[in-house]
Amino acid sequence: MNVFELDSITAGYGGAPVLNDLGLRIAGGEFVAMIGPNGAGKSTLLKVMAGDIVPDAGSVSFNGRPLGGYRPRSLARMLSVVHQAAEARAAFSVREFIRMGRFPHQSALAIEDDRDREVIEWAAETTGVGHLLARRLTELSGGELQLVRIAHALAQNSSVILLDEPVSHLDIQHAVMIMDILWKLNRDGATVMAVLHDINLASDYAGRIIGMKQGRVFFSGAPRDVLRYDLVESLFGTACIVMENPTTGRPFVYPVPGYIK
Amino acid sequence: MKTPYKILIFLIVAMALLLVSLSLGTRTISPAEMAGIVLGGPGSADYTILVKLRLPRAVLAMVVGASLAVSGTVFQSVLKNPLADPYIIGVSGGAALGATVAIVLDAGQFAVAAAAFAGSIAAISAVYLLSRRMSLGSTALILSGIALGFILSAAVLLVYALSRSDQVHRAMLWLMGDLSGARYGMLNWLGAATLLLMAAVMAFHKHLDIVSLGARFSKNLGVTGGNLRALFWIASLLAAVSVSLAGVVGFVGLIVPHLMRNVFGPRHLRLVPAAAAAGALFLLASDTIGRSLVPPYEVPVGIITGFLGGAFFLVFMVRREAGR
Repeated sequence: MNVFELDSITAGYGGAPVLNDLGLRIAGGEFVAMIGPNGAGKSTLLKVMAGDIVPDAGSVSFNGRPLGGYRPRSLARMLSVVHQAAEARAAFSVREFIRMGRFPHQSALAIEDDRDREVIEWAAETTGVGHLLARRLTELSGGELQLVRIAHALAQNSSVILLDEPVSHLDIQHAVMIMDILWKLNRDGATVMAVLHDINLASDYAGRIIGMKQGRVFFSGAPRDVLRYDLVESLFGTACIVMENPTTGRPFVYPVPGYIK
Repeated sequence: MKTPYKILIFLIVAMALLLVSLSLGTRTISPAEMAGIVLGGPGSADYTILVKLRLPRAVLAMVVGASLAVSGTVFQSVLKNPLADPYIIGVSGGAALGATVAIVLDAGQFAVAAAAFAGSIAAISAVYLLSRRMSLGSTALILSGIALGFILSAAVLLVYALSRSDQVHRAMLWLMGDLSGARYGMLNWLGAATLLLMAAVMAFHKHLDIVSLGARFSKNLGVTGGNLRALFWIASLLAAVSVSLAGVVGFVGLIVPHLMRNVFGPRHLRLVPAAAAAGALFLLASDTIGRSLVPPYEVPVGIITGFLGGAFFLVFMVRREAGR
């Protein structure tokens, strides 16, 4: 069954539309990476799927029902979003922050019951932040904070997760750590969709890559079918060479430096 | 420190401060004399001073201080702006215009409070409707509040320009924050209203935690626009009730939440009660100082909160920045 079905979506921020007549299907259990040049509409598409912005035209359905028809709390129980870099950092403890993911599951006055505790501990263990639970968000490094934000998203729900550039500003240790976590979650049944700027991480981890250009889906398919030098070159307008990654057997994309020609 | 100890310390400090506040004034009544005066029953001048004037005034100071601090806490979290205070959306401007008009018309004390309340509700509604048309974003809310504030203070000045100087003086004293009108009659409904509103804030303590971390973050966790509108009205009403009974007492709603956030952390389950307690004590202390500084004259409490709060805040900020 399709988790997401988007048809003829036109959306933007009041001015010229960012997404033009876009259609997309995401099946349950997929690991989808979205790539494309800056301004192609990747984040906007993610916001449409998260319900953050309502498209000007077209329809979005989530688990077979119109996205706009869900009550906010019930949608929050089924769909987690990890936004691009945190909007604000406050001195909450890591545990308090992860616990906020339980908010849509809790009654008004509940703080933390046994089920919440179980899920919080599972989320912390899955993301390897168990040793950070007593620390404050303000004391964490960028990589640690990102792991904690993913733990928060998992405490909220672990079946459908949308992530906007989850590893863009991280060192390779944390980037690979986070991609490995997403890969394991996906193997255990989660539907994962992530906007990525690193084409090679997308290639190594995703089952399907969507290339976005000028508000439309430019290509969509398995890494070895879409990461061809001609397609990547016209997606980014940059000369590229594609080889095989010796460890994963997946395509590996090198941009060609301008001074070579 | 464990929470029960903190509560105990607060109660001891509050009791001590209350006794000091009750004993100071034009006529000093030592705590030792108080029991005798109260047991002596109504009739004596001291009984009137202690029970009918100073006690309601102290209670009013505490209730108003707590309301303003809680209102400021909510506004700072919802608007994600550390400079937000209970007056940011024009509550004070509306109340000032209402009260000023009532005062220059020589209305009685109750009418002045009612006019102030009506003015603040009108201002809140105006800002609410304006910013709702602009989709209730926090920037829209702040900017419409500031714009309305300018218009309302121009209107207050216009009323001054057209009034007699003794009326202007009375209106200005009101504007500076004035607790001298405290009577039991108003305390009943004021107390009930503020207790209800503060309980409502506490019912939203988890929402406030989440909202303080960002708009999209809270939306994706299921916090609704309706929740935000409810918080907007609760915080505005807390400010409106306070301002209509005590005038525009500044600074409490700005610094107390700020300091308590630094001391108790960002979790509203602790922050809101802490702000309420600290706001109550701060305003009681300020009013006691204002009453006993130059007897028999009274310095309006708003002037004391400005001096005391401002100086304390500056020292706190400088020390904190230096400690980094």
